[in-house]
Amino acid sequence: MHIPDGLIAPQAYLAAAALAVPCWAYAVKRVSAALDDRAIPRLAVLTALAFVLSTIMVPLPGGTSAHLSGMGLLVLAFGLWPAFLAFSLVLALQAVLLGAGGITALPVNALIMGLAGGAVVVGVRALLGGNRSAWATVLCVWSGVVAAAIGLALVLGAQPLLGSDASGQPLFFPFGPAVTLPVVVVPHMLIGLLEGALTWSVLGMLDSRRAPA
Amino acid sequence: MRDRAILVCWLVAVVAITFVHDPVVLAALMLLAVVLQGTSAPRIALRAMAAVALVNLTVSTAFVVSALLSGEDWMLFVLRLNLRVFLLALLTFWMIRHVELTRAAAAWPSLQFLVVLALGQLRTFTALLADYRMAFASRSPTRPPLSVRLGSAGRQAAAMMEKAERQADELNHGMRARGFFDDRAGKNDRA
Repeated sequence: MHIPDGLIAPQAYLAAAALAVPCWAYAVKRVSAALDDRAIPRLAVLTALAFVLSTIMVPLPGGTSAHLSGMGLLVLAFGLWPAFLAFSLVLALQAVLLGAGGITALPVNALIMGLAGGAVVVGVRALLGGNRSAWATVLCVWSGVVAAAIGLALVLGAQPLLGSDASGQPLFFPFGPAVTLPVVVVPHMLIGLLEGALTWSVLGMLDSRRAPA
Repeated sequence: MRDRAILVCWLVAVVAITFVHDPVVLAALMLLAVVLQGTSAPRIALRAMAAVALVNLTVSTAFVVSALLSGEDWMLFVLRLNLRVFLLALLTFWMIRHVELTRAAAAWPSLQFLVVLALGQLRTFTALLADYRMAFASRSPTRPPLSVRLGSAGRQAAAMMEKAERQADELNHGMRARGFFDDRAGKNDRA
């Protein structure tokens, strides 16, 4: 769902960068403190994992499919800050290796999908008292996916307010929140459900494999 | 040094282009970028076009339809959007072709090491995922139902995560055995 280069006004992405840099610095500090010399290998493997998870296709009814974002899964399995760092690195690698997503939109995508979406997953799990049942996991991940979709829709929808020329023509993304909210959020309400179900099934499989025989 | 210089130039150019709104200037910059790419221009232009086609077509078509319905002009915005997004993609694919990411990160050893490790792990995971997909396809002569495909996607993700945990531990042990962390500690002490 992430935003490509050229659709976001500099006011928006530069402000997001100013916010993202201290968040990344804090995440590095937290991950380094928790993992010591394990931080680099762990982060590298997490980054590769997040990259590959984002290429796994979630089948949708009707024969189409969507990408797994993997954020909910990473947050629930490894915690918010390692997941946020790994997800940000994935976005950076996608931008500079594949030309996907875009480097100017990176801070916006990382903050909204990685940090805000991940924080919602963590917050909902805390509100549910750490409940690990199927419905609780689906609700946590669904909330994170939908929150990220709402955030991206609002950022996109704010672009006409941030830039238009003398004749009133938009300079960046042209549609307001009345268009972006339903177009971005409604499909992600279904994708969030599927991603939640998949996350629950993956975590369940991991737990059963780790359980002592 | 060269890789880092190209990376910085690309970054500056990308940011600068988002401040340009005149379609004539954007078109001139795009022509310049194509000319500077020489013989590789057609291949890079095709890759850039493929990368931005879906977004540009969707946004442009929706804008044209809404402008026609409200009787407004649409040409200027469509030109501006398509030229800018295509130019940015063109520059990005040119950068990808000329920059070795691990060399560009050489000034920051931890970052360079992270990138090297992540790219190596990425190849391992991608190969494993391709194996899973081919195995699933070979076991499915007809299109399996949704529940089976969901189950397969879940098992692929679980296998990846399990492998990731083991790989992280193995990498850590390997690096420790080779004295990587001692070297870093020694450098920090000297600093």
